[in-house]
Amino acid sequence: MDKEISNVWFKPRVLVVDDEKRIRDGCFKMLSDEGFEVELAETGEIGLNKINDHHFDIILLDLMMPGLSGLEVLPSILDDHPDTVIIVITGYATIEHTIEAMKKGAFDFIPKPFSPDDLRLAIAKALEFIRTLQGIATEKSRMRVLINHLGDGVLATDNKEKIALANPAFIKMMGNKTEDVAENVIGESVENLVEDPKIREMIAEALRSTGRDFPVLSTEFHADDSENVYTATCVPFRDRLDRNLGAITVLHDITAMKKIDQLKSDFVSMVAHEIKSPMNSVLMQLKVVLDELAGPVSDKQKEILERASERIKALANLSSDLLDIAKIESGLIAQEKEMLNIAEILSNQTKFYKESSDDKGVVLNLELNGTLPTIVANKQNIVEVFANLISNAIRYTPKGGTVNVNASTKNEYLVVKVSDTGIGINEEDLQRIFDRFYRAKNEKTRNIAGTGLGLSIVKSILEAHNGMIKVDSTPDRGSVFSAYLPLPV
Amino acid sequence: MSDNKLILVVDDDPDLVESVGMKLESEGYKVAKAYDGVEAEEKIKEEKPALIVLDVMMPRKNGYELCTQLKEASETEDIVVILLTAVADAVSSTSYTHMDGKNTPADDYIAKPIDLDDLMAIIKENLE
Repeated sequence: MDKEISNVWFKPRVLVVDDEKRIRDGCFKMLSDEGFEVELAETGEIGLNKINDHHFDIILLDLMMPGLSGLEVLPSILDDHPDTVIIVITGYATIEHTIEAMKKGAFDFIPKPFSPDDLRLAIAKALEFIRTLQGIATEKSRMRVLINHLGDGVLATDNKEKIALANPAFIKMMGNKTEDVAENVIGESVENLVEDPKIREMIAEALRSTGRDFPVLSTEFHADDSENVYTATCVPFRDRLDRNLGAITVLHDITAMKKIDQLKSDFVSMVAHEIKSPMNSVLMQLKVVLDELAGPVSDKQKEILERASERIKALANLSSDLLDIAKIESGLIAQEKEMLNIAEILSNQTKFYKESSDDKGVVLNLELNGTLPTIVANKQNIVEVFANLISNAIRYTPKGGTVNVNASTKNEYLVVKVSDTGIGINEEDLQRIFDRFYRAKNEKTRNIAGTGLGLSIVKSILEAHNGMIKVDSTPDRGSVFSAYLPLPV
Repeated sequence: MSDNKLILVVDDDPDLVESVGMKLESEGYKVAKAYDGVEAEEKIKEEKPALIVLDVMMPRKNGYELCTQLKEASETEDIVVILLTAVADAVSSTSYTHMDGKNTPADDYIAKPIDLDDLMAIIKENLE
C-alpha cells in the first residue's frame, strides 16, 4: 500500500476540513510524513475559500461542522472542481448522511474514530483513482493532439452514424474552410459533414458488418471543388462482445502520387509512340526491299534482312506492351465493357495461333465445356489476355508438344485454362513471373523472345475485371495458367 | 489487272508513303502522294483518285475530318476511303487519344502496324 502513496509522479495536494483540531493535526502529521502538501480548514467557509484559491487533488471533509456543513459544501466543490476526490469523514455513524454524501459525489468515507492505517488506505484508494483518471486524461489529450495534427483526415462515428470526432484535416478535405466546424459537427449526423455518398455507404457497410468478419473498406474519390484525389478507408470498432460501437474513416491525400503516376504514364506512352511509328516504317521498308520492289536481293541479303525484321518486330512489340502498361496505369483499362461470347473469342484466338503452332510442330486444341455464359468485359482487353496466354504457351513448348485451351464455369467464375507440355517454370521464377519485365532466364529460355510484360498485363487486366490469374507448373513437364473472370450476377 | 487505277496515299510519315507507294506500283496501280489532310484535299481535286489510303493522325487536317468531308460531298462520295488507324494506341490524356476507325463513314480500315500484303488484299476487295 505504501508504494502507491509514495510512488505518485506528482506531489498530491490535500485539504482537511474538520472542526476538530485533533483530527486536523493527526491528518496533517500523517499526510505530511507521506510527502503530501497539506492544508487545513476548521470550517466549511474557510475550506471553500482555500478551494477557490487552489486546486486540491483530495479533500477530507467532515460532514458535521458548525456553520456550513460538509453536505452543503460538497456540491459547490464538485461544481468547480469535478476531478477533485472527496472523502467524507463521518463523525457519528449515521448511515443516512453517508449515503447522501456519496449520492452527491463523494468518492469514499471514513467513519470516526479512524486509525492512521484507515486514513492511509482511503488515501491510497483515492490516489489510485486519480492516477486512473489522469491516465485517461493524458491518453485523451495525447490522442487529441495526435489526431488533430495528422495530415490524414480522421472521422469517428458512433453506431448510429453520428459524428464522434472529426479532425481538422478531415474537415478540410470535405471542402470546409473554417476549422470551428470541428466543434459544431460533434453529435451531428454524418451527412451534415460528408456529402460523398460513397463514403457514407462505406460507413454504413462497416457498421452492418458482424463480429465474424472485420472489413477494411476502401474507395477512391475526388473532392467536388478541387483536383484532389483521396483514398478513404473505413473500419468498424467493436466492444469485447464484438458489437459494433462505430466506425473510423481515414482519408489519405493521393493527389501528388496520382499526378506523378500520370506523368510517368504519359511519358512512357509518348516515348513508346515515338519509337513505335518509325519502327513500323522501317519494317515496311524492309518488306519492300525483301519483296524485291527496289531491285533484286541475294539470298544472303534476304536472310540478313529477315533477321533484322524479326529484331525490329520484337522492339515494336515491346513498345506496344509499354503502351498497354501506360494504358493500364492511367486507368483506361476495362472502361468500355460489353457482353462477350467467350467461346467465339477463344475459337478465333486458337484459329489465329494455329499457323504459328503448326509451324512449330505443336498441337493446339480447344475444349469448350457445355454452353458458356456470356461475360461482361472489355473485348480488346480480354482478347489480349488469351492472345498472351496462348502465344506464351506455344513459345515455351518444344516441338511435338501440346497446348490445350479449356473453358468451363466453376462457382461464380468462368475459368479458361491454358495448359502446355512445355519447359515449365522453376519454383523461384513462379513467384515473380507476373512482375513487370521479369523473365525466367536459363539455358532453355535463352532463345525465346519476349518483353517480360505480357503476364503482368494479363494479371492487371484480369484484376481490373475483378478476376484473377493462377498458375501451376512443373519444370520440364509443363504449365497451366488459369484465368478467372466473374460471371454476371 | 488493276486497270491502272489511281490510289492516293496520305500519311505524314514520308517513309510509310514511299513503301506503300512502291508496293502499290508493283501491283500495277498508279500512285499519288500527300503528307497532310490539306495537301490531300488538293490532290483529290486535281487527280480524282479511285481510292485513298488515309492516315488518321495528321497535321493541318486529320483523316476523320477529311473522310467525313469527302463522304458528304456528291462529287467525292464514290471515292473509296481506307483509314489507317492506330486503334491499339488510344492512350488517355495525351494528344494521341482518338476514336476507333469504325465510327467514321470510311469504307474500310486497317490498323497500324500495317502488313503490306494485308493492305493490298483490303484494297483489292474494296475496288471490286
